Amino acid sequence: MKTIDLAIDLGTTNSLIAKYDNGNVKIYNNPLGLKQTLPSCIAFRGNRTVIGDKALDYLEKDAENICMLFKRKMGTQDTFHIPAIDKERSPIELSSYILKELKNFVNDQEVMNAVVITIPASFDTIQSNATKKAGYMAGFKEVVLLQEPIAACLAFANTSNIDISEKQNWIVYDFGGGTFDVALVEVNDRELKVKDNLGDNYLGGADFDNLIVEKLIVPFIEEKLGLRNLWKDLKSKSSSFKGLYFELLKIAEEAKKELSHYEETEIELDIDINGANFYEQLPVKREHFESLIQPKVEETINFIQDVIKNNQLLNSQITRVVLIGGSTYVPLIRQRISEAIGVEVNSSIDPTSAVVLGAAYYAGSKPMTVSEEVKTETSDDADKTIGCKFFYEQNTRDTEELITAKVNSEVAHSFRIMRMDGGYDSGVKQITDHSFSEFVPLLEGRLNQFKIQILNSDLDVLKSIDSVAINQGSYNVQGQPLPNDICMEVDDLDASTTRLEKVFSKGSILPLKKKIYKTASKTILKQSNSNLIINIIEGKSKGLPSSGLSIGYIEISGKDLEEDLIKGTDIEIEIEISESRDLKINIFLQSCDQEFENVFSESERSISINKINMEINTVLGDVESLIRETNDEENFEYSHQLETIRVGLIETQIAASLINEDDISDAKFQLDDKKRKLIQDFDDLTRNKLIAQEIETYNDTKTSLEYRLNQDENERFRDKYARIIKNEREVINSGNKYLIRSKIKELDELYDAIIQSSDENFISYFLHLKFVTNFSNQRKADKLFKQGDEAIDKKDYKSLRYIVYGLSALLPDYEKERQKKFKDDSRTGLG
Amino acid sequence: MTEIINQIFALDLKLKKDNYDGSNRYLDRIYHEFEIMGYKIVNPIGQKYRNEMTDVEANILGDLTKSSIITKVLKPTIYHTENHQTKLLQKGIVIVE
Repeated sequence: MKTIDLAIDLGTTNSLIAKYDNGNVKIYNNPLGLKQTLPSCIAFRGNRTVIGDKALDYLEKDAENICMLFKRKMGTQDTFHIPAIDKERSPIELSSYILKELKNFVNDQEVMNAVVITIPASFDTIQSNATKKAGYMAGFKEVVLLQEPIAACLAFANTSNIDISEKQNWIVYDFGGGTFDVALVEVNDRELKVKDNLGDNYLGGADFDNLIVEKLIVPFIEEKLGLRNLWKDLKSKSSSFKGLYFELLKIAEEAKKELSHYEETEIELDIDINGANFYEQLPVKREHFESLIQPKVEETINFIQDVIKNNQLLNSQITRVVLIGGSTYVPLIRQRISEAIGVEVNSSIDPTSAVVLGAAYYAGSKPMTVSEEVKTETSDDADKTIGCKFFYEQNTRDTEELITAKVNSEVAHSFRIMRMDGGYDSGVKQITDHSFSEFVPLLEGRLNQFKIQILNSDLDVLKSIDSVAINQGSYNVQGQPLPNDICMEVDDLDASTTRLEKVFSKGSILPLKKKIYKTASKTILKQSNSNLIINIIEGKSKGLPSSGLSIGYIEISGKDLEEDLIKGTDIEIEIEISESRDLKINIFLQSCDQEFENVFSESERSISINKINMEINTVLGDVESLIRETNDEENFEYSHQLETIRVGLIETQIAASLINEDDISDAKFQLDDKKRKLIQDFDDLTRNKLIAQEIETYNDTKTSLEYRLNQDENERFRDKYARIIKNEREVINSGNKYLIRSKIKELDELYDAIIQSSDENFISYFLHLKFVTNFSNQRKADKLFKQGDEAIDKKDYKSLRYIVYGLSALLPDYEKERQKKFKDDSRTGLG
Repeated sequence: MTEIINQIFALDLKLKKDNYDGSNRYLDRIYHEFEIMGYKIVNPIGQKYRNEMTDVEANILGDLTKSSIITKVLKPTIYHTENHQTKLLQKGIVIVE
């Protein structure tokens, strides 16, 4: 049996849509906003129709073309004359527009044939039938009506699991933003029935906000500034204070919310009045707020008492009061009802969505009588016959682009464009001469995806296209792309060397600007000779720093500093490349509070013979050890290539030693070029080998980790493991050894965590250590081994753990040795 | 997180209003960190207001015309990107004149 499932709360001011799905109810969000609610408001603007939030924009300017509160006119012959289109619209038609717009919220169900729509308890037969008609007009084949108080009771009953064995009387107290309703509902084990209802269409939470502004904020400002008649001026159409009125209403609304949770709040006023700034704090106590709204609350209490009295009931015959509507968050309301009626006041359900929630529960139990197929066929047919062709720039640097379309259909009447992130909606606009054009705003630096709908004259969606996407900021035909990566040399403390970090990628369009935040990896005392090096390099980001072309090299020496630069503090580097390729660097040292601005430009490029020498030495060591290794492996061709590089490097070094540091010829530049060329060759020759090595290590680490994870007691680590290896393919294919290395480090850390989680794991470690021969203190190690053996005999694994720690401390520290070689002056100081 | 962003934004406006520029650097850094976490914070001040902008809630003073401009931003627009999908997280609250 197929049930209706879909439910709509078609409200006077706001509407919602929800679906029952296997025991749960999903309330849909407006894709063009964040709210579940859609204001029941429609604006007609010539060839454009706007539904919902944005229709309210025109309320001041163009009230006669705005239709709202039409629910109050349902079932009457009154129509709304709309001058903008010179047509009449009936409340039924307007309601159907709201229903159609709500259908747009539903993104997980294509066919919507049947629906439950809620109506006020006060609706008579004609009004009810009018609502049904609106539902059919919106394309539903079956419309079932449900009274709002009943829906609220269902929401409460279904979410609180109460057991009702005998007849009870409940009160549903519905206090919204603009209206108030109270209903008496009879509940028994089989059914819910509305017995009576009363209400006031002009009483709501907005009145509370106005009271805060009028009675608290305005007198406070008047007193401080010696003003008079401010309240009147605020609301006057001709006064200059009108913006302030909206601002104060927002502030009041915030204060109201605060006071629903806290006993006291402070209203912070930071506003401009008569051109001068007014900044003051106004403390407000909850009791003060409550005394303001008391008369309004009492009005609502009177309604409850009337409805009880009118039905010849006593307060004691009311079992509970169910609260719905946003204003019921105010504690005074709960307290006053409880005092006046003397019953349990329940506010456990979300007051805004209670009606649609209850209606969805009802829809989930109500069998559908129409076939599911009806609508699909027609909409599919329409979809096939409508041809659309779109024209637009796929990549742009502009923040606005034109989408043009040709539509090949006679029934296509209007279109609508929405940005999928929810930031833009064209509204429904008419198609003229089978085509339309629309400027759409774009979110910077993002792929902007659009959903485009083609609609008929009844605003039914005929076709929906979501393949239009515009990439902002990626490409510009007039822009000049970077031929190489631009990188910065930073310290790689783990590997005790320096490496390149990409700043701008090859192909990025000039001009470019970026701020990079680094931390100092060494301390530089003021007046010392130690240096902070900013080296901007053009070249492959995966290569060695010395293989790229240095396009900006700055040394900030201890002598330049006003304060010590402390290790670990922030260094802010702003790098900017203009369209004409000028490089601007701005450095800010946080711990010195010192800024080095525009420290150099490209023309001042300097090459230091010392640096050339240093770089050659580093690479030479690597080349030589690799030659030895390849000779051992009898890989003579490879070793011959390496030998050529070695000879080249030595020749360059000799040539460099013959030039003075202050040489003004271009010999230095020639040498630097030669050096770079040789190091690039070395880089190309070895890069793949190094990466292969890293991948091998990665796989080994994974195997040993998986062995541990397969043991039952380590099951809890499996989730974390899955998270680490989730993007494994991406990392391996990146060809970036640093990325692979950091993955290995993550795996190692997990492995350590597993080992540390149980003392017994230290047995195998201990046994491994027995094979080590080069402890820094063999005597001490022997002693620990003896203690360890004893601990194993006694099964004292806790002690064994500490013995293993002791032995590890005696292992030779290769890392330390390597770090020693990574001397201060070969480091950049950027971590 | 939106509340933290709103407070930082309010602090930023307050400091700028008092002509206190010394904090810009620190605020830029905070915005940068938000950006890394996937939050894009847009301050639409000075932009032309179009009714089609569903990322702001506008309080419109006087008549809405083609040259209406956002003159005050009470809360910024916040977008969040996750798994390459950008979604509106908070509508900006603005005054349009």
